[in-house]
Amino acid sequence: MPEYDVIVVGAGFAGPVAAKKCAEAGLRTLLLERAAQPGHKVISSCLVPITGFLLGPSWLREENPPLERAGYGVAVHYVKGGEVFLTVKTELAMPMGYMIYCRPFCTWEAEKAVQAGAELRTSTTAVDVTKDGRRITGVVTDEGERLDSRVVIDAEGSENLLAIKAGIRRKFPPESIELCLLYDFEMPQADIEDVTGGDLEFYWAMPDEEIHAPPGEGTLGVYVFPYRQSLHLTFGQFLAMKDRKAIASDGCKLIQSYADNFFNIRRWRELIAPKAKLRARVWATAPLYANLDPEVRAMPVYGDGMLIVGDAGGFETSASGNGVDTAWITAEIAADVAIEAIKNNDVSASFLERYAQRCQAHPVMVDLCSPQRRDLTSTQHDLGQMIQGSLGYFTGDAMLRMAELVKTTNLEDVKKLLPLL
Amino acid sequence: MSDQVRTVKDIPGVEWVPGTGDFIRVEPERCTGCGDCARVCFGECYEIRQGVAQVRSLDRCMECGYCWYICPSDAIEFSLPRGGTGYRTNWG
Repeated sequence: MPEYDVIVVGAGFAGPVAAKKCAEAGLRTLLLERAAQPGHKVISSCLVPITGFLLGPSWLREENPPLERAGYGVAVHYVKGGEVFLTVKTELAMPMGYMIYCRPFCTWEAEKAVQAGAELRTSTTAVDVTKDGRRITGVVTDEGERLDSRVVIDAEGSENLLAIKAGIRRKFPPESIELCLLYDFEMPQADIEDVTGGDLEFYWAMPDEEIHAPPGEGTLGVYVFPYRQSLHLTFGQFLAMKDRKAIASDGCKLIQSYADNFFNIRRWRELIAPKAKLRARVWATAPLYANLDPEVRAMPVYGDGMLIVGDAGGFETSASGNGVDTAWITAEIAADVAIEAIKNNDVSASFLERYAQRCQAHPVMVDLCSPQRRDLTSTQHDLGQMIQGSLGYFTGDAMLRMAELVKTTNLEDVKKLLPLL
Repeated sequence: MSDQVRTVKDIPGVEWVPGTGDFIRVEPERCTGCGDCARVCFGECYEIRQGVAQVRSLDRCMECGYCWYICPSDAIEFSLPRGGTGYRTNWG
């Protein structure tokens, strides 16, 4: 009999959700994390969309998560000639999402999984899977230890090396991957309120401003997100789009030049820079366009004895560039299916297929992961279209979809679900 | 070779824990020397010598995997550092 019922690989956003649910069901659950602390190697913008808190497991909203700020206001700044020439502000009746730091949040999630009875092993890299024929029977660690389980839940993130070793998936094609450069600046809370009013800021410009990728190459502009006492910035591009021109010319230097040009905009130079102190500069990749590629969509998210969740399974809301809500949702479905499979003594691919079906049928997946939602990022070719598209996205469109997803337009009903408000 | 946790001046907010092992390698027979890996790497981990890419150092690698994704010849062998080693940040 294997030592564990479930081994969850990765204590990022998805892994602890799956581990907690499995442990609560009485399964012998092991949660592996390669970093010394959960979240040490997780980098994101990071605005967790409200869909995650409303439609993911309730404990994520109810048990005092470490949040930085609710995103109630959005300011879209249009830049021309190094100046912000037009700002459109939107005030939302409920937050678009919540800003967090990944390290404390993933640490909190993992603690909840441990409190529920999961065993957590940090500083442990799972380097391979073990097999019995085609069935995945466990993992091998970087110390050469073999750990056996009835089900492996792969929550390792977009590199999904175990899913590849298991023969279930291939690495993501480069066109689906965004490369992001992120900055973190400390800034006194009063100054943040003064300059941003607490609004999520998106800066958009035409290509000659060179502060972000040209329209059609995958960008939602420059993000400047106000946290409690800091600003979190994101510059990203899908470098392999448009015949890899961006790589052939400058590669990562291009993205760095966006940041350098952005820091020269008068608003940053005169209003923000004097009050902001650089604290971190990091970079990361994300498979944000995984859903738009038919070959990637066709890759399985399960095998005999294995379920693949979150970024590892390509679950992204491509239009809005989110992976955390889908990570939580798919992790919970995976835990449910693992529990059922073990109860039925059947971890075969044919039993586990229901995991893929339930994920595909989930309203978030149906609505926000559809390849039809490419419209926001690919079709804006002039400033007028960009303004129209972004207004629609941040205001009516997003809120209408939200209402559809939570099946109500009654804000009071929503507020009952979300005590954080 | 230092066995201390390292920081880099132009990459604030990040530490590197030594002992990673050689977790990224170039397979020279598959490499065409196109240089895309070097061009996309913020950590300046690659150099092209005699028409072949080589890992110069993994000291500033942030394990993003973009080199591996981008290589048109599948010449990058990408794996992950030993548990508890490599980069870490509290500000991601």
